[in-house]
Amino acid sequence: MDLRTPSGWFFLLIGLILTSLGLFTPQLRAPLLNANVNLYCGLFMVLFGGFLLLLAARSKRGRESR
Amino acid sequence: MTLAPVDYVILALYFAFVLGIGWRLRKRVSTSGDFLLSGRSVPLWITSLAFLAANLGAQELIGMSASGAKYGIMTAHFYWVGAVPAMLFVGVFMMPFYYGSRARSVPEYLKLRFDEKTRAFNAFTFATMTVFSSGISMYALGLLLQLVLGWSFTRSVLWSAAIVLAYTFLGGLTSAIYNEVLQFLLIVIGFAPLSILAVAKAGGWGGIQTRLPAVMTHSWQYMGSASQNPMGVEVFGMVAGLGFVLSFGYWCTDFLVVQRAMAAESMAAARSTPLLAALPKMLIPFVVIVPGIAAVALARAGTGYALPMKNGGPDYDQVLTTLMAQFYPAGMLGVGLTGLMASFMSGMAGNVTAFNTVWTYDIYQSYIHPGAPDQHYLHVGRITTIAGVTLSVATAYLAQHYNNIMDLLQLVFGFVNAPLFATFLLGMFWKRATGHGAFTGLLSGTLAAALTHGLTVAEQKGGWLADLHHFPSTMAQNFWIAIFAWSACFLITVLVSLATQPRPAGALAGLVYGLTEVPKDHGTRWLQPGRLAVIVGVVLILLNAWFW
Repeated sequence: MDLRTPSGWFFLLIGLILTSLGLFTPQLRAPLLNANVNLYCGLFMVLFGGFLLLLAARSKRGRESR
Repeated sequence: MTLAPVDYVILALYFAFVLGIGWRLRKRVSTSGDFLLSGRSVPLWITSLAFLAANLGAQELIGMSASGAKYGIMTAHFYWVGAVPAMLFVGVFMMPFYYGSRARSVPEYLKLRFDEKTRAFNAFTFATMTVFSSGISMYALGLLLQLVLGWSFTRSVLWSAAIVLAYTFLGGLTSAIYNEVLQFLLIVIGFAPLSILAVAKAGGWGGIQTRLPAVMTHSWQYMGSASQNPMGVEVFGMVAGLGFVLSFGYWCTDFLVVQRAMAAESMAAARSTPLLAALPKMLIPFVVIVPGIAAVALARAGTGYALPMKNGGPDYDQVLTTLMAQFYPAGMLGVGLTGLMASFMSGMAGNVTAFNTVWTYDIYQSYIHPGAPDQHYLHVGRITTIAGVTLSVATAYLAQHYNNIMDLLQLVFGFVNAPLFATFLLGMFWKRATGHGAFTGLLSGTLAAALTHGLTVAEQKGGWLADLHHFPSTMAQNFWIAIFAWSACFLITVLVSLATQPRPAGALAGLVYGLTEVPKDHGTRWLQPGRLAVIVGVVLILLNAWFW
């Protein structure tokens, strides 16, 4: 098992949940902040999860072609 | 703090992934070596992150942010002085002996190098200590969740213990290591935004500096004498006690962390594991300590944030969770809380898997039932997992009698780990050191630690024999306990070794410096251990200069 695959999916899923929270309930704010924390953190996690999945897919292709 | 349904969804998702990883890895376990040693086949980036995560327990997250609020950036010495140099040392100098000797555990190395009684001493004290640490970690988390979320102490302890048990039982060390990496990523991603948001709200690092006394934003400037800084530690105690004895004792000889490197797929990977781990390690203060410092600045700036209080004084242990409640909306709050649970689980799984290996190989196979077929030991390993988790739960309830978690841990390390580094140093680099020397050295080191604690007083702690000296803080006392323990062990080991018969040089090949072929590095250009160590060293010096 390539650990990047489950980790990638995990962060992608959490990122999607946070991003949609940020998009659809933008009024959801922390008591002391006036920033859409869910949206930014969610987008970052989607990128990070996608990056891990990309790495995993590349290394799988590399193994298969060898 | 109240959680929204989405927070519970995130928590549940995390539990599902952790258990899923254990379930997928169960097929890889067919021998005791697969279960207890990962079959020595784990990729380098995974062993490196696990090397960090196994130590990044819940009490570290809570304790480090608490110390950040109490002492300031000086707390980062626990990383910059108290971890990174030792990690470089174990990777460059000690790993060739651990990995090269094919020992399955640190106690087993002691048996190969010295003798049976030295191994027994280390195996038993280590097994006790892992169960103890894991219980303390569990206690810290249970208490926090009870305080912050109103969850039942018993329920949160039992649930998280059951999940750790399930995935370590299924996939053994590999499962623990793989999950530790996921946990590490989650801890960083869950807490780094908190640090950034809190610092930004406090006006950046510059804003923090203007609001706090200079002693809280400088790491070295006020270390000249113990009375100048709130830690009550002077530079010698810090560097010799924490930086040399405690730190090297922990990172170089504690099987909990060394086991992660020993699971690597090659000698070069085993050596690079702690070196590669040192890079993120020195940046962890920015995730765990800086939020604590920012919290104090925020409280002083009148931003609406107030430090949590208990019995009329600030309750630093709650700094991290109150910050989360104020800076994270529902959603991200769930991620932060999941990160906290993750840190607890990785700390606990680290202890349980190390306990497993030492109990099964060094105690059960050596003294209780030697010579059985391998399947028998695999079975024992699995049962030990259950026993280890059960004992930890029991210790969690016992730990309710002690309040300061970090100090207690330091004390335990002082008694057990501090003399141990002298034994390894002499064992690996001085071929004349003998088994009798090592054993009496260890005994006298532990005795010296206990004596120092019994003869000195700090914050009403210790002094149960006599009151000969007062330390300004228990931290200073712990550092000096370690210094005395190490020196006693070193001296006695040398003296007794000189008076006893050494083993012939042929029996020490692969175990001692000078009698072991130095491994050739086959890593890629930048992953060569020597080069990595230099890079880490330079970054470390720059960091210390920056926060001087």
